[in-house]
Amino acid sequence: MLSQTIIDRLTEIVGEKNVVTRPTDLFAYGYDGTLLSGDAVGVVFPQSTDQVVELVKYMNEQDIKMVPRGAGTNVSGGTIPSEKSIVINCTRMTKVLEIDTENFVAVVEPGVVNFDLQQELEKHGFYYPPDPSSWKASTLGGNIGECSGGPRCFKYGVTRDSIFGLEVVLPNGKVIRTGGRNFKSEPGLDLTRIIVGSEGTLGYVTKAYLRILPKPTTKKTMLAVYNKVEDASQTVADIVAAGIIPTTLEMMDNLLINTTEDYCHAGLPRDAGAILIIEIDGYPEDMEEQIATIRGVTEKANARDFKIAQSAAEVDQIWLSRRVAFGSVARVKPCYSIQDITLPRDKFPQAIEGILKVAKDFDMIIGIVAHAGDGNVHPLVLFDQRNADEVERVHAAEQALCELAVDLGGTMSGEHGIGIIKKKYLDKEFTPEAMETFRKLKKTFDPANRFNPDKIISI
Amino acid sequence: MSNTIISELKGIVGESHVLDNPGDMAQYLKGDGKATAVVFPGDTAEVSAIVKLANAQNVKISVAGLVADTKDLEGGIALIMNRMNKMLEIDSKNFVATVQPGMLHQDFVQQLEAGGYLFPVEPYAIDSSSVGGCFAIGDSDSKSFNYGPTRTFMMGFEMVMPTGEVMFIGNKCIKNVSGYDFIHFAVGSQGTFGIFTKILVKLLPQPAAKKAVIARFDCMEEANKTFNILIKRHIHPDRMNLVSASLAKEILPGEGHLVLIDLEGFNNSGTKLANEIEAILCLGGGKDVQIITDKEAYEKLILGWLKVRQIINNAQESVLEFAVGPMKMPQALAQLKAMNGALSAYPGVVVEGLLGAVMLMLPEGTDKMALAHKVNNMAMSLGGNVTGLLGHKLMCEAFNDAQMWSETTGLLDGLRKQFDPNGILNPGVKLLA
Repeated sequence: MLSQTIIDRLTEIVGEKNVVTRPTDLFAYGYDGTLLSGDAVGVVFPQSTDQVVELVKYMNEQDIKMVPRGAGTNVSGGTIPSEKSIVINCTRMTKVLEIDTENFVAVVEPGVVNFDLQQELEKHGFYYPPDPSSWKASTLGGNIGECSGGPRCFKYGVTRDSIFGLEVVLPNGKVIRTGGRNFKSEPGLDLTRIIVGSEGTLGYVTKAYLRILPKPTTKKTMLAVYNKVEDASQTVADIVAAGIIPTTLEMMDNLLINTTEDYCHAGLPRDAGAILIIEIDGYPEDMEEQIATIRGVTEKANARDFKIAQSAAEVDQIWLSRRVAFGSVARVKPCYSIQDITLPRDKFPQAIEGILKVAKDFDMIIGIVAHAGDGNVHPLVLFDQRNADEVERVHAAEQALCELAVDLGGTMSGEHGIGIIKKKYLDKEFTPEAMETFRKLKKTFDPANRFNPDKIISI
Repeated sequence: MSNTIISELKGIVGESHVLDNPGDMAQYLKGDGKATAVVFPGDTAEVSAIVKLANAQNVKISVAGLVADTKDLEGGIALIMNRMNKMLEIDSKNFVATVQPGMLHQDFVQQLEAGGYLFPVEPYAIDSSSVGGCFAIGDSDSKSFNYGPTRTFMMGFEMVMPTGEVMFIGNKCIKNVSGYDFIHFAVGSQGTFGIFTKILVKLLPQPAAKKAVIARFDCMEEANKTFNILIKRHIHPDRMNLVSASLAKEILPGEGHLVLIDLEGFNNSGTKLANEIEAILCLGGGKDVQIITDKEAYEKLILGWLKVRQIINNAQESVLEFAVGPMKMPQALAQLKAMNGALSAYPGVVVEGLLGAVMLMLPEGTDKMALAHKVNNMAMSLGGNVTGLLGHKLMCEAFNDAQMWSETTGLLDGLRKQFDPNGILNPGVKLLA
């Protein structure tokens, strides 16, 4: 519990309506997309950089730990409050400060929801490339914290590739600006690079300079159906080798084809081993050439069906199953645990094999959705939270999946971050020297360990 | 430095891989400092042993692919990486190359090209730059608009830390957000966090077609206007550069300033775009407008541009670069002229059209800092700044925010000390501007 003196001071900084301290109200800020939860002693909603500075300075004086939070959609435990911490919620810093389409930059506050920015940009015929599945709810501040990905990453990269610069409140309460407004204006050694993806452990982002691009003139969506998952993954490798970088290469396995069919009857063949959604963008006159190449590649890889969407409705039809994939599994089990393990592309078939083995070993049902182009696999481990034994096996399966990824030369996190969930396995992926490097980084930025402590690594 | 150290160095890398005679060393050194020995390590273990020795004896090390900076080296060791110059693997399934840092950047590009791969990052200085240097400098170039800056291509590395430990980080996944992003942060650290000994590089497929459109203009401002028309029409070629007449001579014989627009992509759109660009350049007052499709002529042109880039990068002390974003460039050029006279007074000017950046070669005797202040204020009024850490410093000054500058430098300095407690590595590199 916070003393009245502290509550008064917090209220003085951010205003009465922007301080939450009652346990029942705090509950909503204690969990995220994982099964974890934590109890903060307070939540504050600053509305400006100055207020963040005041808050951070005051909490340093009071030796209170601070946990950043946006919409709390992350699936790694990154925003779970640590003991006796105060949550600094950015959801009232929601201004789009500038959209400069001529110079390809947008300036935003951290609480702007990704999708809201996209809609604003849409009016100008522009977009911001990173498109995490949570984009309708997740904040850009949160996206920057986790370095979120999304289906378009294959061509356009993850969040870090679209961040020109940041304004950051450091753990000591001082403000710095990093990077710039375009690639050229960055300094050589750019602190932006280490802050993006640091899950709020190194600083609190109060403003971001984002790269925006004109929407491509044309987009084509294709669907390929396979009997075997291996053939789908062969297709992925061959498309790239043929000189084509699609925006999206999404894969769904047989289990998910069936759960989505149960749910929305999109018309996918229930006996198929896998489907691949392939999307390319660019100049209209290049589409035919690329489609012909892709068609050839899918045929060579034994696709049993290949379809090109001819209308917007057909594009929606193709995407329908993929969009409902996560929700559709609820018909099988009420909960799922999602992983974001990522493999070198050529290890994809072994990864699928490995995932099926994990399912067998732990007697769990696992469905597979994948951003196949970049080797990013989302095994969905289905379970029932009310079944303690199953929950235990889910955690064991999670660990086995992380180890599988690392053993195959991959990473346990392609786009979700480490947070608390994967922290305990981190030393399986990184050498002791790399772990020591991480500690050095954290210690330099936050010697008192007050910013989102014990996320990613413990000091 | 004592003879014992030299013999210890010889013990580590072998007698023939240590030079200590000033005459022999000269070609591997630049700057007015002094090196006691030039050492050529052959593998990671040797690099590590040398760094450990240097720490034990408190001797400084300056690292380079081919030519090391002796600034503040105080009789230390120049570590030349050119023996570690092998392509270790080209992984065709994952589009990843593993390369030693001492391979020349241009050799790397050419070997990859022969195999059908593209590494689009431009060499910093085509004749001498190494792959290790490329990532240590980690800048952006004329092609960054479409391909991203240098760091985009870094997937992982093996590094000898400033205290001698060997670290490996990274993997062959193009999507990787595990742990802190030291992989990309290290790009641009100029060897202050450690010495790259192996690098995993992301590759792209070679584009189906490459062509260029060139034109001559009497007036740089007029030429620059055509860039804005192209951008307004959502045409984003791969390079869109304007090179002043003085530097254009290095690329092609002829009169006037040179516009060089480069298209890498597919056949059909390439042809259509080239025609559209040709028309816009003609309408904009361009002369001798040509579409270059012949492979040999195209390559000669690009090579010429890379030579110009080298001239500029090798003269950094007398080059001032600023960025304002592409569409603000006409205003920036006009204000620059009003402030400091016609563009023709500079020995060389390059406009990178898609990035909205200008590189000015300064006439001899120019007070660079004084001009940098003025140019930075002008650029800031247009939403830009002088590039690099110098620009950041000037921005903080303009904001009258000494605290921000001291925090930024405090962090950079603090990080450097964390990694290099004895201050051994690359003493000439000043991250603090």
